[in-house]
Amino acid sequence: MNPFEEYQRQLTRRQLLSRSRGCLGAAALASLLGDVPKLSAASQTGSEQGRLQGLPHFAPKAKRVIYLFMAGGPSHIDLFDYKPVLKEIHGKELPESVRKGQRLTGMTSGQKSFPCVAPMFNFKRYGERGTWINSDILPHTASIADDIAIIRTMNTEAINHDPAITYINTGTQQLGRPSFGAWLSYGLGSPNKDLPAYVVMISVGNAPGQALYSRLWSSGNLPSRHQGVQFRSAGDPVLFLTDPKGLDRGLRRKMLDGLAKLNAEKAQLSGDPEIEARISQYEMAYRMQTSVPGLMDLSGETQATFEMYGPDSQKKGTFAANCILARRMAERGVPFIQLFQRGWDQHGSLPTAIRNNCNKVDQPAAALVKDLKQRGLLDDTVVIFGGEFGRTIYSQGTLTKDNHGRDHHGRCFSTWVAGGGFKPGIDYGETDDHCYNIVKDPVHINDLNASVLHCLGIDHNRFTVKYQGLDLKLTGVDGANVVKGLLS
Amino acid sequence: MTYDGSSKAKGVKIYVDGQLWDWNIEQDRLSESIRTPKTLLIGSRHPSSRLLGTVDEVAVFSRALSLSEVETLSKQLPITAILAVAPEKRTAEQQQQLRTYYLEQEDAEYIALIKQKQELKAEETELLKPLTTVMMMSDMAKPRDTFILARGAYDAPTEHKVQPGTPAILPPMPKEAPQNRLGLAQWLFQSDHPLTARVAVNRYWQMLFGTGFVTTPEDFGSQGAFPSHPQLLDWLAVDFRESGWDVKRLLKQIVMSATYRQTSDASRETYLQDPSNRLLARGARFRLQGEFVRDSALEVSGLLNTKMGGPGVKPYQPPGLWKEVGLGGNPVFVQDHGEKLYRRSLYTYWKRSAPPPSMQIFDAPTREKCTIRRPRTNTPLQALVTMNDVQYVEAARHLAERMLKEGGSTKEEQVAYAFLLATGREPRSSEREVLLELYDQSLKHYQANAKAAEELMSVGESPRDKKLNVTEQAAWTVVANMIFNLDETLTRE
Repeated sequence: MNPFEEYQRQLTRRQLLSRSRGCLGAAALASLLGDVPKLSAASQTGSEQGRLQGLPHFAPKAKRVIYLFMAGGPSHIDLFDYKPVLKEIHGKELPESVRKGQRLTGMTSGQKSFPCVAPMFNFKRYGERGTWINSDILPHTASIADDIAIIRTMNTEAINHDPAITYINTGTQQLGRPSFGAWLSYGLGSPNKDLPAYVVMISVGNAPGQALYSRLWSSGNLPSRHQGVQFRSAGDPVLFLTDPKGLDRGLRRKMLDGLAKLNAEKAQLSGDPEIEARISQYEMAYRMQTSVPGLMDLSGETQATFEMYGPDSQKKGTFAANCILARRMAERGVPFIQLFQRGWDQHGSLPTAIRNNCNKVDQPAAALVKDLKQRGLLDDTVVIFGGEFGRTIYSQGTLTKDNHGRDHHGRCFSTWVAGGGFKPGIDYGETDDHCYNIVKDPVHINDLNASVLHCLGIDHNRFTVKYQGLDLKLTGVDGANVVKGLLS
Repeated sequence: MTYDGSSKAKGVKIYVDGQLWDWNIEQDRLSESIRTPKTLLIGSRHPSSRLLGTVDEVAVFSRALSLSEVETLSKQLPITAILAVAPEKRTAEQQQQLRTYYLEQEDAEYIALIKQKQELKAEETELLKPLTTVMMMSDMAKPRDTFILARGAYDAPTEHKVQPGTPAILPPMPKEAPQNRLGLAQWLFQSDHPLTARVAVNRYWQMLFGTGFVTTPEDFGSQGAFPSHPQLLDWLAVDFRESGWDVKRLLKQIVMSATYRQTSDASRETYLQDPSNRLLARGARFRLQGEFVRDSALEVSGLLNTKMGGPGVKPYQPPGLWKEVGLGGNPVFVQDHGEKLYRRSLYTYWKRSAPPPSMQIFDAPTREKCTIRRPRTNTPLQALVTMNDVQYVEAARHLAERMLKEGGSTKEEQVAYAFLLATGREPRSSEREVLLELYDQSLKHYQANAKAAEELMSVGESPRDKKLNVTEQAAWTVVANMIFNLDETLTRE
């Protein structure tokens, strides 16, 4: 058979439609099916700085996101989801009427006893609404109660770190999909040509906890220039940023001028537009060499700022110092800034471990919100504080007078959000008296991601990329909802 | 307990109060020596799981004790106590204990034999130890029943049991083929299989031309792309299969074709008409993949270590990358030194949660999932790698030395030599002018800053050739660094 006729015959109605519409899906398809290098060249030299055609879908409230990711699964029970009933059932067995045969992780499913544990901390009411917050270890967060929305009904199907943290960052438990920041880089680009659209910082200075994976900030099946760029406190702030010893800036500039001349000559002869893209990438690299150290240099910050972010804030690489950097990046327009704080995986010694972690994050996270607010940035910046799941109401291991652990729990957990179109000063959703199941207004992790996209002016259902027969999106294939009750 | 070091469960004996304890063996699959530098832990599997209880009078012997020795130990009967008993009144057990004591402590021949036995055992263990370990999957003796999981959840199996088999739209497995991986391999290579040869040929084409006939090499199904040249793909596929799957022959055939040998230079208009070169009207032009960028810099500089095989190596990488993601900050990255720094990138050790950054920046996948088509991006971070990564600066240093030692006597010859090594052609006069201008500027700079020249020449662990003039070396290093960053060096054309 003539292959051309065969080809014609195989062109289905659906394929024909997808070819003829000049919409996002088709553009994305083109970028994924073979045109990647050329498209990248075109978009990088274009005037829109990488913004995808048709985006945003509607007027955005937020321009950027600062995600304070608490890796490991902070205990919602001990921080935000206050239940007085727990004091009465402390030490008693978790009733089957609550657990309802739901699965546990392999770490505690073999336990003979599941004694309920009330928080070994005091809670007080804060803000105009009088929301309950742990007053022993979250005093600073308590002071921003009127600026944040506490979501008590976050939930996820995953109960182990790897799938759960992959899920919340990419919308699916399977690995290989683009992360939230990569989606934003792909869709919105960056208003700042000298900095990447997606920056990641991992806190140092605390005991490292469960593992992280570079795929959490990877671009998955989107072009890899959308992957998160890690900014570091030790060595080069961005890998390979610093010129080698003995090669100074003046000489580097001369080398780049020569390089641009040679590459331009090649571009003339070869006709390949990718060469021009390369010339501009080298110029951006040179600009980053200047702009990044300026961004990372906190010496211009005032004493008042350091005092606001707390005693750790002058130590490089701490969560506190990274919070100041996050604010500086927000000021410079970086659209997605993600901080990872490890060490929340408190299977044992929870009372001391959670206190240690709160000592590191409470003041800086609250200061970040206050600081953004006083600089007028909170209105168009979404701040998210939360982890991949919560923890069990029952003790993992032996419950003693002052010590216990908690296992993973995905059926409900607490996250707070602030700014960028989220309603300030509210509590959203209700869990049962045992902090175990959701009673009212569940917010699936994909619902939260859909809501954040909404604040950024993006309809999550229309923000898709064709991939292996799927309309891939950040919020997964099961369907997600923008949580209207959270939005102002 | 005693252990003869055989790596077998039956080599372990457990005694309770001197009596051999009867126990069940559930797993007996160790295949390697038990010799290890790890610390022996008593009452603990690893530092965070400890025995809740007390341990008393721990003694470790450097050999497996015999039954009688264990009995002696457990019964706490010193030999003197037995000797105090009149010979005729000793029990059989006591007699045996004395005999064994005599043999083990006094009988020189017996002691020598025991020593020899231990030495032979150690030698045997050493001989049986595999040279290297290769993890492989093997079938269970009796395959486990497998069920479809509801929405993929591991704890939600349905009633639907699955059997080995191939998708219905593809040919069935041969009747006589075993229902296992061997059968699958036979099926893949049967002569009427519609996919294997086409998929393979398409991937080799992609490797050489940057894009396959089918632009979705991972998907030849209804969601995949239609081939650009279906007849050529078919012809090559049949030829590949009939040649006995001869990969070298296939590659040779492609690279010797007129299509492959076309120039990639074309007018801008031509490029814009067919940006991804689907019509093959010009030669392929695309950036080398990350591994090749590094390998080619090493080769051009003369540093490349062409040794093949052996365990992976850990060349330069910025500090702290493993620590910031690893569970508990472990394992610790320990960089290799010497010739291991210059092996082909194929041998670079791969930690999937933190892959070597200089390659990841050039689009290498994390290797957590199968990837057969990489994106090919063009980013500022890539520019930073080839300008500043120790590996590339060191390579530039060595290219500078090659220019001085092998390049000829004039600087025109020297720079042309380096350009030729990196791009495969002599520079045009306009290009040479730019290169030499940078050289003159750099030379002037380093003549005024001798310390800076020394610093630049100390980047990387290999020593510099001190017989050469350090100022010239440093100035040429800057030029070499520029040559490594030329679009033409980074691009296959």
